[in-house]
Amino acid sequence: MPTAVELTDEALLAKMIEGDEEAFTALYRRRHPSVYRFALRMSGNRALAEDVTQEVFFALIRDAKRFDPARGTFGAFLFGIARNHLHKRWELDKRLVPSGLGNEDMNGNASRNGAGKSQFSVAIQTGTISGNQLRAEGSRSTIPGVPEEVVSKETVARVRKAVASLPENYREAVILCDLEEMSYEEAAQALECPVGTVRSRLHRGRAILLEKLDEAPLRSAVGE
Amino acid sequence: MAIDCAQFEEIVHELERAGTPGFDFREDAFAHAESCSRCASLLDKVMALEFALDSLAVQDRGERASARVEAALIAEFRRQHAESAHPRRNLRLRTALAMAAALILAIGVTVPFWMNHRSPATGSPVAIVNPVSTSAGVAGANEVPVDNSSSDSEYTTDFISLPYADDPGTLEGGTVVRVTLSRSALASFGLPVAGMGSSEQIPADIALSEDGVPQAIRLVADADLDQTN
Repeated sequence: MPTAVELTDEALLAKMIEGDEEAFTALYRRRHPSVYRFALRMSGNRALAEDVTQEVFFALIRDAKRFDPARGTFGAFLFGIARNHLHKRWELDKRLVPSGLGNEDMNGNASRNGAGKSQFSVAIQTGTISGNQLRAEGSRSTIPGVPEEVVSKETVARVRKAVASLPENYREAVILCDLEEMSYEEAAQALECPVGTVRSRLHRGRAILLEKLDEAPLRSAVGE
Repeated sequence: MAIDCAQFEEIVHELERAGTPGFDFREDAFAHAESCSRCASLLDKVMALEFALDSLAVQDRGERASARVEAALIAEFRRQHAESAHPRRNLRLRTALAMAAALILAIGVTVPFWMNHRSPATGSPVAIVNPVSTSAGVAGANEVPVDNSSSDSEYTTDFISLPYADDPGTLEGGTVVRVTLSRSALASFGLPVAGMGSSEQIPADIALSEDGVPQAIRLVADADLDQTN
């Protein structure tokens, strides 16, 4: 007999509806990190992200039968609830800036103006990065000559700020499709919009990111 | 298939995304980038961006809500399922309370009327000799009416215990009073009102305990009416 961690989301959900606490716990532990990350990246605020995560799973406890597999994946269902709760919170408290600007940021620091270009000019001393090289390597996780942790630290900090400063619609698409690795179809279910809209928003969001992280800072960041 | 710069820009962001047009034409896109320095530059930037986003995803992979959230959710889960564990019991209790309230209201209206207009034939409280058939449930009430103690000119059903009735032993010393109740109120107790003519008001006997609390109820029909049915 499979253990809870081996069961599918749908199987765990069915057991949870029957009152199986272990199934609920397994489902929560499996699914809450992505919900929390989505809320955190959308809001830039840890306390709010925790509140939203809690609300999402409260809603699941209260009415798990709302999930209809015919309408999409369980993950997309949870993201959809999270998105609605974020919007409600933003409506209730206009003081919360939905991009992490002006709030405690994901590193626990108080951010001010978000992704200013000057913040992108922090240079990393070693290595080079280019699309051709990445393509030749066939992997994005290993770059010869570049200490991975250094690239990650500096690049991630800059990209995080750039993502946080995207307009909401584009930010959602980038977070779901690029950071949470959802398909266009899943993202469309979560965002309650057509697949073509997701595709165009992702395209536009990435184009804005490229503008923000323009070529010079990107290249200087990897030491060119 | 050869693609141009516009087509390249259209698909450059999804060359690594399986199931997309960009993925299907990625080799054509790479071939185009080999011959177009502008698109090659764009491809470099896009792939660098993808690497950066991938790094961000990897770095954040360990992000979790605090244990406080899980604890609160598990407490809520337990609370919800403790409440829903006995829905039938709760439903029965609510139904019984509603029926009791309806009966008390009906008696409150009809008993004063009966006190003022009681006739010699039916008005006097009578001592109960085993008036309550606790085994006579709703199903039993659908049986042929049986009369144990009423006059020759009328038939009665068995007594049916009310939902909140006490032990039948507590009825000793109680009384039976005749009241008139609406058809719908009687039907709500499971009494077989269908065979009681077409009148909206139907006579019934209510067994009261010594302290005056209704304990059981039965229908009363005239013999003539029964014969016509």
